[in-house]
Amino acid sequence: MERLDRRDFLRGMAGLGGAALLTGCGAESGLKAAGASTGATGRPVHYPGQVGAEPDHLVIAEWPGYEAGGTKAQTYGLTAGRAYTRRFGASGLTYADYGNDDKNLNKMRAGERFDLLHPCVDYVQDYVDAGLVEPFETDLLPSFDRLYPQFADRGSLNGRQYWIPWDWGFGSVMYRKDKVAEADARGWELMWNERYAGKISMWDGGSTPVMVAGLLTDPPAQDIFHQTSDELERSRQLLIQQKPLNKFYWTSEYGDMQPAFKSGDIWITYAWPADYKAMGDALGYDKVAYMTPSQGKLAWVCGFMMGKGTQSPLHAHAYVESFISLAASANLVNLFAYGSSNASVTPAMVKDGRLARELDIGNPEAFGPPVHVERHIPNRAEYQEVWAEVKAS
Amino acid sequence: MTPAGRRLPPRLGQGWLVAPPAAYLFALLIFPIVLIGLYSVFLRTNLTGVVAVFSFQDWGRFFPASWGELPWRTSSPFWNTFVRSMGVTVVIALATTALAYPLAYFLAFGTRRRRSLLLLVVLAPFFTSFLLRVLAWQVMLRANGVFNSALWELHLRPHGEPVSWLINTWFSVGLVLAYAWVPFVALPIFVSMERIDRRLLEAAHDLGAGRLTAFRKVTFPLSLPGVVAGFVFVLIPTTGEFVTPQLVGGPGTYMFGQAIQDLFVGTASDWNYGAVLAVWLTVVVGLLMALSGRALTMDPRR
Repeated sequence: MERLDRRDFLRGMAGLGGAALLTGCGAESGLKAAGASTGATGRPVHYPGQVGAEPDHLVIAEWPGYEAGGTKAQTYGLTAGRAYTRRFGASGLTYADYGNDDKNLNKMRAGERFDLLHPCVDYVQDYVDAGLVEPFETDLLPSFDRLYPQFADRGSLNGRQYWIPWDWGFGSVMYRKDKVAEADARGWELMWNERYAGKISMWDGGSTPVMVAGLLTDPPAQDIFHQTSDELERSRQLLIQQKPLNKFYWTSEYGDMQPAFKSGDIWITYAWPADYKAMGDALGYDKVAYMTPSQGKLAWVCGFMMGKGTQSPLHAHAYVESFISLAASANLVNLFAYGSSNASVTPAMVKDGRLARELDIGNPEAFGPPVHVERHIPNRAEYQEVWAEVKAS
Repeated sequence: MTPAGRRLPPRLGQGWLVAPPAAYLFALLIFPIVLIGLYSVFLRTNLTGVVAVFSFQDWGRFFPASWGELPWRTSSPFWNTFVRSMGVTVVIALATTALAYPLAYFLAFGTRRRRSLLLLVVLAPFFTSFLLRVLAWQVMLRANGVFNSALWELHLRPHGEPVSWLINTWFSVGLVLAYAWVPFVALPIFVSMERIDRRLLEAAHDLGAGRLTAFRKVTFPLSLPGVVAGFVFVLIPTTGEFVTPQLVGGPGTYMFGQAIQDLFVGTASDWNYGAVLAVWLTVVVGLLMALSGRALTMDPRR
């Protein structure tokens, strides 16, 4: 068999991704109702048996803070998942730190197995292509029909529902209003502003900083989610230029970013709406702002996938249902200021009306230009390489 | 009754004794190194859809295609990281040895009655996990940490204006590593000083040597094996260090160990390239150990 070298491999992946992109565009233009678990190429999936006959143990790769209500790991007040822990108890749930999408994908490629994982939509195809996940039987998820089709469709590949959306939100710049001049806080370029050297922290987020850099290169990348070699080189140079301005690259929002922002170690950081809410609550909203950059925010939808070979698919379905239900989704929205995939959650259910307006919670229509909705990166390995080299430079 | 003193043939006995550690070393040291070696030359890969065939491609990526004006400004970012890390490691090892020497000297010569107690004090931090101790430094060094708060309280700095170089810099990485290693270096130096025959010092004084001369001509040369051992104790683990720079370092203090970690389990998934870095580090550490082994077996009195 002829050997495929790395360059051929990356090129091949790019081609594959391009095809996927076209498929994706098709899916976006013709929205179908959520709830279908059969399709043109996939056979319907059916998980027979009784939930009681399965092992009641689930190992879940989860972002810290999202553990099910009722478990010891959940210390942030999230009640989503409580329906599951009430029914099956909390002792069977084991959590592993998801880290970030790049890290977890690499971990699972290396052989680690989880019953459930919480990836974002742009990685769905990576997991499916690598054969690491099983499709869901959507009939086992009573709330599935309530999910926004424009989200649920993104988890449907080859006619099978591999991913169940749950939370969505933005990626943007959070900054200290009392430290940063208003005129400087117009766009992503604030992260490159030398006036704030040593007070900035970019997320050690693998592909994400490369996407952000693509917005600011001269000329900007045509498609920040599919940058060409030349565009990637420009992004690399721009990130190397930004590197000395960082106090540190943050790896965990609760572990290092939020404490440093709260203490004043950093004033400007890549952040998600939950960070804005946490820091606004802690420092006061007169001191903290979440930017709407002139180049547009990033936006993401994350959800659940079921690991290949899980022994407890029915438990996994029950677990996911306990998160996408209306009550759980409303809790997510109010606690973390993220949007929910459940269309029954309306803006009126958001207790903090000001936050709801500011962050477009409960309005999935916010998912359009100029917001850049993250999607599958065909040449992800190249993005990862760029970021690795920036860190080593 | 078996005759007293009857023994198994020594070779067989020794062979059995060595078997468990040998098996352990083979399974957990030699085998993984061989495996990493296979990854480094692309005989195995974690990339899906790629056939693994012998290739030095990743070694070619690591060694710079063009050398800049400085050995850490080449065309290969990971080579640059290696050179920078090694430079910093040597400085940290030297500084740690210099800090540990007076401590060892005091333990060996300065105190007799409370020596055990002092040794216990030196070793006390090891009763706590390394990670917790590094995190404790984080609490002390950060913007509103212990040091900055103290400076504010003492009106040595305007309130709310922290000393920014205290954390996420080479200073913080060096400080925490030196703190962690000083006892490791002090102990071998202390042991080598303990073994110095005190009559040699008396003889030096009898022959008219002052305290300084006696130190320079007798104590220091005889303590050198401990100094070299201590230096190597720091140098070798620090070359692969990744926890400390991750927790108290910043983007500018990226070390070679972090690069290896990132390529295996971090945001970049390139085991083949990570393996090149790991094999290279193993070779360099092996060379350092061989060199230090020579230095340790040399007789300092010659």
